[in-house]
Amino acid sequence: MTPLRKLRGLWPLVFLVAAAGAQAAEEYSFDASAYEKKPFEFGGYVELKQEHFDLNRSGAFYKLNNFNQPQRNDLDRTTGTLQLTGKLRPGIGTFDFRTNSNLQRDQLSHDHDNSIYEAAYSIRPSPGFTAEAGKRSLKWGKGYAWNPIGFVERVKDPNDPQLAREGFVMADADWIASPGGDLQTVAFTPVLLPVSSDVNSDFGSTGHLNPAAKLYLLYRDTDIDFAWQGKGSRPARYGMDFSRNLTSNFEIHGEWARILQTTRQVTDSAGRVTTSVGDATSYLLGLRYLTEVDTTYIVEYYRNGTGYSEDESRQFYELVDAAFTTGNNTLLQKALSLSRGSYGRPNSGRDYLYFRAQQKDALGIVYFQAAVTAMMNWQDRSYQVTPEVSYTGINNLELRLKVFILQGGSFTDFGEKANSRKIELNARYYF
Amino acid sequence: MFNPKGQIVKKLLWLILCFVALPAAGAALDGTEILKKVDRNLEPESYEAYRQLIDIQPDGSKKESVLYTMKKGRDKVVALFLAPPSDKGRVTLRDGDNMWLYMPDVGRAIRITSLQSVTGSVFNNADIMRIDYGAEYNVEATEEDTAGYVLSLKAKTGEVAYDKLKMWVDKQLLLPVTIECYAASGLLIKTLRFSNIKDFGGGIKRPATLTTDSPLQKGYQSIMQWSGLKNATFPDEYFTLNYLPRIAELRK
Repeated sequence: MTPLRKLRGLWPLVFLVAAAGAQAAEEYSFDASAYEKKPFEFGGYVELKQEHFDLNRSGAFYKLNNFNQPQRNDLDRTTGTLQLTGKLRPGIGTFDFRTNSNLQRDQLSHDHDNSIYEAAYSIRPSPGFTAEAGKRSLKWGKGYAWNPIGFVERVKDPNDPQLAREGFVMADADWIASPGGDLQTVAFTPVLLPVSSDVNSDFGSTGHLNPAAKLYLLYRDTDIDFAWQGKGSRPARYGMDFSRNLTSNFEIHGEWARILQTTRQVTDSAGRVTTSVGDATSYLLGLRYLTEVDTTYIVEYYRNGTGYSEDESRQFYELVDAAFTTGNNTLLQKALSLSRGSYGRPNSGRDYLYFRAQQKDALGIVYFQAAVTAMMNWQDRSYQVTPEVSYTGINNLELRLKVFILQGGSFTDFGEKANSRKIELNARYYF
Repeated sequence: MFNPKGQIVKKLLWLILCFVALPAAGAALDGTEILKKVDRNLEPESYEAYRQLIDIQPDGSKKESVLYTMKKGRDKVVALFLAPPSDKGRVTLRDGDNMWLYMPDVGRAIRITSLQSVTGSVFNNADIMRIDYGAEYNVEATEEDTAGYVLSLKAKTGEVAYDKLKMWVDKQLLLPVTIECYAASGLLIKTLRFSNIKDFGGGIKRPATLTTDSPLQKGYQSIMQWSGLKNATFPDEYFTLNYLPRIAELRK
């Protein structure tokens, strides 16, 4: 008897089981009319985050951040966040918004902040064309932790890459075509971003209307972007990215960007600052791999073209050390000033390696996820490891616990951060 | 000795045999044709629909999601999450073997794989963004009896979520009743059970409910329910990455 003949004999069982399934399913009814498009939609989340910091009192950034402040070994911070999103559909277009409000308190200070992350009006005169104006958070690039071609956006936090970020006021458009054949999709996105003392003042120097554009191609199942930003508030830059599945569970991606005539300040340990102007190239290579047991691995290498080499960073840390050891006010002011600039960026080094492994339904518990993330400064070998667990099994509630463990010697990237450990617990409720 | 009575009986028997055998031979049914009909009876080639996913855990607790889905041609599907609030605004796009997930918070699309599940459901992305069976599978063998057909399907490429399918097809309605999904190793990954035949109008009459369970996720069950399924035509531009943040605006 062939296997198919055996299967044919299972027909009565098939009908029986299907009927039983139908009976179970009949308990549920579904009417889609409740989900029709409404003229106004509203949603968002409220989040409570509790953080405990073990402060790194010998770290350069602890000393700089806590200069003239009461000294502590640890700090507990509570943050409440309300993020509201909505859509309004007046006339032919759509107005959408995202606001973010924070209330933060720790033993040293309390603070609050209300921001409009996005608020833009868009119209779509034809299926292939959309134009919009307002505050928009455009996200360019394929990298998970970093995006060298993120030319018109605020810098991503590699510790929480999926966090919504505040946008910039701009006018932009989208022209999309599907030519067919090997070139499956073409999309062109031009952007105009004004900078004045009142608008987008943190983007760069004021008095410019910055042009930028992105060309997207889906060519033979590969995503390819070409991005450009003209000279204005920031130096001109261009770049490209790609993303492709080599197999259904194995994706590779990369980004490459070149910034023209960018200004770079480098200090020595005596506080003598050298300013140089030149082109800088950044790039990123990454992969994402999913195993049969639902473990996802993400690996990325990031070359930060404007970042500091191990020796350059060391000189800065030695400057901070000298400033606090001697109490020399001139050195101190210089170190403080540099720390507010490019030395104080979250990833100011030149070469980074990122690794993340996440297990869906860990320990056999559905909606329970365990993950570990590691980030290493490849030149000085200092690193940060972040184990994490999250649970999303309760409707609309997301619970997450993360522990950040920073490791590195004196005068290294992660060894000089303001804290050596951090425990973060947050609960987010969506409505 | 010549026996005219016996000859007549013999001829009659032949005739009866031919009558019985002919339809079966005619049905020597091209499995590919059956699969084509199954595909079209399940859904129009291009359509829009609302679907509800219910994921039931062993302790009886449930999670529900609602999706608005658009499909064009054999291999373009986009699905927008309308509920729950934690997933609202997420969009999944499929163009052939390519799949992406757009999350409003993240603000851009990332590539995903067919075996993952964006909802944490027994249904994976391939089930949620299913394209025509005929676009992904070849019919390897077809068996028939009075109750229906059993099709043995083999994936055309290694990119397809399940290497093999066994599909039991209702003979009269030419709709699937049960589908068993197997990995290349022969491991049964899940069983899909169609039920609750419903007339959606516009000549679409198909199962409104799909139930699944998996020996790999014992005690868990997922249910998919259809509503508002209708013929629709869409421009190709809707099935592109740049359009994902605006899919919500396309609903009537």
